[in-house]
Amino acid sequence: MAARILSLWGRPLAAAGNALRKFWWWLRQMSGDAAYENYLCRAGHSGGQEAPCPAHRPAVSILSAEQFYLERLKRRYSGVSRCC
Amino acid sequence: MKRYAKALVWVFVSLGGAGALATIALQRGEPLNGTWFIVAAGCTYLVAYRFYSAFLAARVLALDNQRATPAERLDDGKDFVPTNKWVVMGHHFAAIAGPGPLVGPTLAAQFGYLPGTLWIIVGAVLGGCVQDFVILFCSIRRDGKSLGQIAREEVSKRAGWIALLAVLAIMIILLAVVALVVVNALKESPWGTFTLALSIPIAMLVGVYMRYWRPGRVLEASAIGLALLVFAVVAGQWAAESPSWSEAFTLTGTGLAIAIILYGFAASALPVWLLLAPRDYLSAFIKVGAVWALAGGILWVRPRIEMPPLTQFTDGTGPVFAGTIFPFCFITIACGAISGFHSLISSGTTPKMITREGHARLVGYGSMLMESFVGVMAMVAACALTPGVYFAINSPAGIVGHTAEAAAATISSWGYPLEAATMTGLAQQVGEQTLLNRTGGAPSLAVGMAHIFSSTLGGEGLLAVWYHFAIMFEALFILTVLDAGTRVGRFMVQELLGHVWEPLGRRGWYPSIIGCSALIVTAWGYFLYQGVVDPLGGINSLWPLFGIANQLLAAVALVVATTVLIKMGRTRWVWVTLVPLAWLVTVTMTASYQKIFHPEPRLGFLAQARVLSQQLAAGNVPTARLVATEQLIFNNRLDAAVTALFAGLILILLVEALREWLSILSGQKEPALHEAPYVTTRLAEAD
Repeated sequence: MAARILSLWGRPLAAAGNALRKFWWWLRQMSGDAAYENYLCRAGHSGGQEAPCPAHRPAVSILSAEQFYLERLKRRYSGVSRCC
Repeated sequence: MKRYAKALVWVFVSLGGAGALATIALQRGEPLNGTWFIVAAGCTYLVAYRFYSAFLAARVLALDNQRATPAERLDDGKDFVPTNKWVVMGHHFAAIAGPGPLVGPTLAAQFGYLPGTLWIIVGAVLGGCVQDFVILFCSIRRDGKSLGQIAREEVSKRAGWIALLAVLAIMIILLAVVALVVVNALKESPWGTFTLALSIPIAMLVGVYMRYWRPGRVLEASAIGLALLVFAVVAGQWAAESPSWSEAFTLTGTGLAIAIILYGFAASALPVWLLLAPRDYLSAFIKVGAVWALAGGILWVRPRIEMPPLTQFTDGTGPVFAGTIFPFCFITIACGAISGFHSLISSGTTPKMITREGHARLVGYGSMLMESFVGVMAMVAACALTPGVYFAINSPAGIVGHTAEAAAATISSWGYPLEAATMTGLAQQVGEQTLLNRTGGAPSLAVGMAHIFSSTLGGEGLLAVWYHFAIMFEALFILTVLDAGTRVGRFMVQELLGHVWEPLGRRGWYPSIIGCSALIVTAWGYFLYQGVVDPLGGINSLWPLFGIANQLLAAVALVVATTVLIKMGRTRWVWVTLVPLAWLVTVTMTASYQKIFHPEPRLGFLAQARVLSQQLAAGNVPTARLVATEQLIFNNRLDAAVTALFAGLILILLVEALREWLSILSGQKEPALHEAPYVTTRLAEAD
């Protein structure tokens, strides 16, 4: 029975799971939740999360999560960031 | 075969859109439901995106995916970062979507549903989206430079200064008018005021969380903040039911204005991580969530449109704001169709994140289509109210009177039946003391949204909660605009004063922060105060001023876009920006002229000042109103001067641009484009 349900619903479930994963990725990128991970990745550090990104250059000094967050806010709110 | 199937799909989409538009335009006597608006807008947007934006991308701008963008060439991992196009689109949409497309269409509904809806759709497709797209393209080709810098380089130095002045002017008027919308939504409303007041410590708590406890964890902090905000909406009812709390949070218009002015000053001077950033995150999530919920709600409930397609107020005698359908329908809708302010975002952070030139189409053109869709939904929510209720909420006391009986009698005499009991009953249902004379559009939109939401979830029992949720949603992101705008205005003032005395230009120097914050807050606070004490409700004067300022900035953007197209040798296609520019100039100049010189006192600033002066001279003003009347006379003259300034700026800009265009087209001057040099991209095709 379970095998039959799985064979019937397996594909749609996998597609839904995939769509949810993509949405979650987009949400984290969009909101800035993943910004520090991206920064570490680009700087060639894993930040203890996952394997270092091979494609990017190592930075001279790495900002802490708090320093990075504050710097990001400073840049973001230095110009027109919200519209009417 | 596949090609034919695709063509067939587009034929169906086009026919669907045309059919829905025809139904909206031609339906008479039969009830119409909101789904027609969604179908008409959705199909038109799909066709416009598929064909018109593709034409702009390929033929007019000739976007080149092999050309490296500034995000790739100047990649520093901070400002310039190649980013996924859907992420950039999300960022861009969150930045451009403000209160304008919600408030403008709601106010324009006084002309009926038809003119506003058509302009929101057509204006966006042919004007607003083109402006956003072309300016984004111009900025990408110039290393992400701002609109002012591009205007200075491509048109003239004077055009650059006009852009700077226009930005500062629009900022001041914008902040005043959005603050007035909040004041009118919250005055005498302990529930709404309590909820919004509670949002300040909630935002600060979220700020502390993201700074100290879990730095940068935006999603989890926002989830906590959103849960607390929902609690604040529910707790607002308890506060409204408690005599002592209710008294403390029942504020007059003037009291609320002072509170908002003080808040704006504090938000501008406080560290950004403490209040501005967390409030921005919370409001962005609520904004996007509420907009999608409204779209779903309209499709689910299919609300009946109660407003007629055209009202008698197209003749200019409307109670919500004075002025004929042309030009004031277009001035009032502003951001829902075309917004000059968007060009600042399109030449701000967005161009620095675009990975490929081709992505500018989705981000620039596509995001503005979504913004326009928000405007259409606001129009549906406003027109789902019966006209009597709509006019009772949006008309000032000076026109319909202070009591439900007086308002019902006046509005019924216009041909829109309304009983006093309907208004008192509705106010009770939504948990307010009164809904009369709440000008500004936010309360009527909140009533419309609450009806749609409560029909979807919770029924009549939750109407009051949904109403205050909608008010909180509108007020929250209006205050975010206020925070962010005051801060940017402060930076601009600091930059200007820095030329006079260098220390004043230092962004981190506290005396300069305090002084410049006070200056910018005083500027918009003055206009806010004049709106609050205006017997015609304030919106009648301030919203058109805001619309004119906004369209002025759009004219700056379209002049820049046209100049760039001419310099690129695309004279054949220059109509894509020239036609919206010509329309905008016609609309803005007509509106400016009428707002200054029209003999009808409700419309013309000078006429109103003259009438008040005559009353004063004839001794017809009670002693207690003498000072207030003198103040009103001054305010009207000031508004006339500000409008004249905007109109003058447009004229100077046009002369500057025409001179530049003619000298290029006649061959007297070599077209010198200031684009960054061509570098071939190194990114793989899939990036």
